[in-house]
Amino acid sequence: MVRVEALEKAYPGRKGEPPVKAVNNISFSVGEGSLVGLLGPNGAGKTTTVKMLCGLVKPDSGRIFINGKELTKRRIPALAEVSAVLEGNRNVYWRLTARENLEFFAALKGLNPAALRSEIDYYLEFFQLVEKSDVEARKLSRGMQQKLAIAAALIANSKVVLLDEPTLGLDVQASYEIRQLLKKIVEEQGRTVILTTHDMNVVQDTCERVIIINQGKIVADDSVHNLLDLFRMKVYKIVIQGELNAEQRQALGAMEEVVIEEESPQRTVISVRLEGSQILYDVIGILGSYNSVLESIDQEQNNFERVFLEILKGGVESA
Amino acid sequence: MPKLILFAAFFKKEFILFRRYLVNSLGGMLTIYIVFLLLFGGYRGFASMAGAVGGSGIENLVVGYVLWFFMLTTYQDVFHTILLEARQGTLEQLYMSVHGFGWVMGAKAAAGFVVNLIFVVVLLIAAMLTSGVTLRLDVLSLFPVLLGTLLGVLGVGFAIGGVTLILKRIESYTQMVQFLLIGLIAVPAERFVVFRLLPGSYGAVLIREIMVNGKNLLELGVGNVLVMYLIGFAHLFLGYAFYKVCERKAMIQGTLGHY
Ligand SMILES: Nc1ncnc2c1ncn2[C@@H]1O[C@H](COP(=O)(O)OP(=O)(O)O)[C@@H](O)[C@H]1O
Ligand SMILES: [Mg+2]
Repeated sequence: MVRVEALEKAYPGRKGEPPVKAVNNISFSVGEGSLVGLLGPNGAGKTTTVKMLCGLVKPDSGRIFINGKELTKRRIPALAEVSAVLEGNRNVYWRLTARENLEFFAALKGLNPAALRSEIDYYLEFFQLVEKSDVEARKLSRGMQQKLAIAAALIANSKVVLLDEPTLGLDVQASYEIRQLLKKIVEEQGRTVILTTHDMNVVQDTCERVIIINQGKIVADDSVHNLLDLFRMKVYKIVIQGELNAEQRQALGAMEEVVIEEESPQRTVISVRLEGSQILYDVIGILGSYNSVLESIDQEQNNFERVFLEILKGGVESA
Repeated sequence: MPKLILFAAFFKKEFILFRRYLVNSLGGMLTIYIVFLLLFGGYRGFASMAGAVGGSGIENLVVGYVLWFFMLTTYQDVFHTILLEARQGTLEQLYMSVHGFGWVMGAKAAAGFVVNLIFVVVLLIAAMLTSGVTLRLDVLSLFPVLLGTLLGVLGVGFAIGGVTLILKRIESYTQMVQFLLIGLIAVPAERFVVFRLLPGSYGAVLIREIMVNGKNLLELGVGNVLVMYLIGFAHLFLGYAFYKVCERKAMIQGTLGHY
């Protein structure tokens, strides 16, 4: 449904500065009816990727196919297959009501709004906006505005829907609702949804597959299930007083299973993923050899945050 | 057919916003109405002071004002859309339209024109009724010339819109354009033929021909009207082509839309 080949993008640098490499040789493909998460820290290149996928940013090289149509060659036919809700944008008209927005967006995508009454009603119902259907978008809550923006992206019936940070800045309740609704849409309608987020929980809740990007590169592309297997491993959290010295930092940094989670002049927190016990002795050895004072050692559940940090460090091999 | 739906969607949107923000809308209409009354009353006062009787001066003033009004609103329909929607974060959605951005803007400008035309006609009639002044307007000749005149202005809107896409700080200077539009109408293009190559200027000449010399469309010469349209399309083409260059640059810089 979506195929991306060797996508590259560097933004021209501002006055006298070198270009910013935002996306560096990204390739992936996503099949019909799946919900895929594009996960990465701020500045990873998620928004740039999304904007290239909907024809708003021109890639330096590489090719994009949406439902078999090559966007990088001919924009308009491919645009019929893709809708997007962009990050930090209003995305809908604030002075139009929910219903009027949906009608307008249908027309933009080449459909006749008059023939879409039942679809519009369906989406208003689906996104729990029926009571607000005649309220101006600017008067809706943030969560409702976001739901409306997603509904506007869905109304055109495009096969591929791109959502850039769809739950950013929403309260817990609204964020939860949107996640559930997205899952339902993909299940019921077989749409292909690609969402970006820097929040691991969003991916964990909604996506079957996650593509992790960092500094413009894909560092992992796997099922969320496989990634979650990493969670089932035991993790030890070691807290010492004071900072690490250079040798310790280097030795620990070279160990794939070790993540330095926190370091300050007062204390340092290290976590170790345990496959055998040897590694834990090694870590303790490194810490002990320079007389670091141990404050505590606790066993913990692995969490996504930590797995994520470990992946970014290159410690997890991915298919 | 799909383009018609697009036009209808913009028309509906304009209409909804007019009704929803009625106080604002009426304020705008009142302004136009007062200008009409001032033109009527002022001219009558001036004419009686000078002891003049009759004449086509008042019609000229009104048509000049209406021409400027349409040039301004057409220009703004394109330019303001690009500027404001980029700021609000809806421009990208217009860009993702299957109609292509050029047609989207065309539909928007056309819808705006029709809405404005309705207002102007209503207000003009209202002003005539209240002031008791009747205008002799050859609408059948004026209308096609007006449309041709606006083509060039559309080009200007695209060109200035394009510049704001890549140079975000230019915004405050664009205020001047509304006065430049008056200049385009006022240049002595009757005497200096080169001025007719400016956007809208030849149209203004033909409109004055209709008004001052009482010519109709046929008497103007079909050839002349065609040349005026040709110049209009050329400006539209050039403005749009320039816009496309800016748009390409914005897509490379990643500055299409909000910033
Ligand atoms: N229009 C732009 N001009 C220059 N640099 C940009 C522009 N947009 C984004 N960047 C830079 O490109 C990199 C990737 O940004 P982005 O795609 O927005 O990342 P993300 O969405 O993952 O946070 C960042 O370093 C960002 O500063
Ligand atoms: Mg982003």
